Amino acid sequence: MPDSSRRNFLLTGLAVPAAASAARSSADDQKQAAPPRAAIASPQLRYRVLGETGLRVTSVGFGCMVTSDGSVIERAADIGITYFDTARGYQGGNNERMVGAALKGKRQNITLSSKTHSATKEAALADLDTSLRELGTDHLDIWYLHAKEKPADVTGELIDAQQTAKKAGKIRFAGVSTHKGQAELIPALIANPHIDVILTAYNFSMGQTLDPVIAAAHAAGKGVVAMKVMAGGLRLAKPGNKLYDTFKKDGALLSALRWVLKSSDIDTTIPSITDMDQLEENLKAMTGGFTRSDETLLARHLERIAPLYCRMCGQCDGACAKGLPVADILRCLTYADGYGQFSLGRERFLELPAEVAQVRCDSCSTCTVDCPHGVRVSERLARAQELFA
Amino acid sequence: MKGLLVGVAAAALVATVCPAQAPKCDLVAGWTQQGSARAYEASNLFEYMDGNAEGYLLYGFVAMHGVTCVHGGDSILIDVSEFADADSAYGMFSANRDARLPAEALGAGSQVTPRRVIFTKGTFYAEMAASPDKDHTPALRAFSAALEKLMPGSTAVPAALAWFPADGQKSARLIPESVLGLRLLKRGYVAEYEFGKAFVVQESSADEAAAVMDKLRARFGQTGDPLQLTDRYLGRLCFIRKGPYIVGYANVAEGHDPAALASVLAARLPQ
Repeated sequence: MPDSSRRNFLLTGLAVPAAASAARSSADDQKQAAPPRAAIASPQLRYRVLGETGLRVTSVGFGCMVTSDGSVIERAADIGITYFDTARGYQGGNNERMVGAALKGKRQNITLSSKTHSATKEAALADLDTSLRELGTDHLDIWYLHAKEKPADVTGELIDAQQTAKKAGKIRFAGVSTHKGQAELIPALIANPHIDVILTAYNFSMGQTLDPVIAAAHAAGKGVVAMKVMAGGLRLAKPGNKLYDTFKKDGALLSALRWVLKSSDIDTTIPSITDMDQLEENLKAMTGGFTRSDETLLARHLERIAPLYCRMCGQCDGACAKGLPVADILRCLTYADGYGQFSLGRERFLELPAEVAQVRCDSCSTCTVDCPHGVRVSERLARAQELFA
Repeated sequence: MKGLLVGVAAAALVATVCPAQAPKCDLVAGWTQQGSARAYEASNLFEYMDGNAEGYLLYGFVAMHGVTCVHGGDSILIDVSEFADADSAYGMFSANRDARLPAEALGAGSQVTPRRVIFTKGTFYAEMAASPDKDHTPALRAFSAALEKLMPGSTAVPAALAWFPADGQKSARLIPESVLGLRLLKRGYVAEYEFGKAFVVQESSADEAAAVMDKLRARFGQTGDPLQLTDRYLGRLCFIRKGPYIVGYANVAEGHDPAALASVLAARLPQ
């Protein structure tokens, strides 16, 4: 097992009894059908076709990973959301079980996907069987290889696992999910005829950096699904968090979703939906397009995030004339300002070597650190020194 | 005196770099470390487990220390995560255990399968996964027992779990956000039964709880205390406020009285 193989960590799932969940499945439940008529008639819903798979899905789908209660998933399906995504590794497998129970009896109306982190064919196929059992279905519409970062991660063995599953009727389409490295990985996936769908992180904070490869994937007939649509800057932001509340207050979360949907190269999105309230908010994204006010709002928030939140890219390592570990200090500040954990931020700051903690940025006339992502480094360091030193 | 200061400083450095709860391969004879140790915080956890990090962050993840140990052709990946408080660590454990499988007596809670162990103690949540595919139970038990001894903190389960009647209980877990899928109910415990699910949400004060009850009445368009209604998704349900707590049952099967069940649950809560 590779040293940092979280992927394999997740494949060693608990051995679970099959009877309960498998019993849910009925022959009728397994058929993939068109979305329900009532849903199609709803003015709130918009559909797109997932590349050459022909799967017709709502432009806003449902990421189930952090959903607090199965009733939210059930309601989303009743409203007419047709794409639901989970993974074998979410909550030790409990997430798939919740999704399966919530979608019981609705399988024929929805597109269902799950993922495997496993690194070998045998383990991946074992994961798939467990996923099917827990989800109460005999097939997945899309089965993703989970969180790949580079072409070499998508091994021949894993592709073979997907093809074996396809032939056995256990999956309809093969996919790959990716959170980073897309510029290199997506072209390789485009060139791979066995990959039908690409699930990628994509949001307004990325600007247009990914647009060319996403457009190429779409043009090549790959289904393109966007995740992390609310932006990496919100990765830790949750209700009650200052950043989240600021975003929500002026509707920036909705604007962020609309930003993704304005791309015709994106076939659908799977924002993580925690509760009924968020479900209702996300549905609004399907009505009306991305407007100038959305653009203004996101630009303002991007401006707010960029100067404040260090991405820990490491490009400033060694750039400070006083030898400050810039990223480490900014991380301390993120604890306090971003997550409201002042004591943790201060504790980490005070762990820095004394000669670092004693430096004051206002003693320098100019700053030698120039952040390529626009973080106002000297200003942020000075704030950290003021808060913690 | 200088020597003492140096010693104290060195101890502090070790405590920072290698906290007691950080797993080590020499906890079990014959195992050696492969590669370097891992350390992640909330801000970079996604670098390690993008695609699953949110599940940790949801429970107030603070930091993770990990190591991969090898012995012959076997390997065990060990990660110990620290959470903001013991309830959250237990919450992470309860979200990841399989309620259909038996528990193991270790820490505040544990589950062991042939290739995987999870357990929690104090503010820590430990995960171990073994490969290749075979029964690794003896090694996993040895590592988990040794590691548990090093971990500071209580082995007590969250007090809230004792509030839920044990009879017929299938599972109980902390919901870190939006209990019952309702954002109004920020954080609380839910216990599943064959006939429905019980919940307890604690607000900061009785006044806060009363305000939330008012919002629930407005949301469901109902009046009364207890608040009793039938919802399309939450079924037959009942909310009762007791001091700072909002308790009740949802999805209650026919033949059971949601209000009576909620009253019994409320009576079990502290005054």
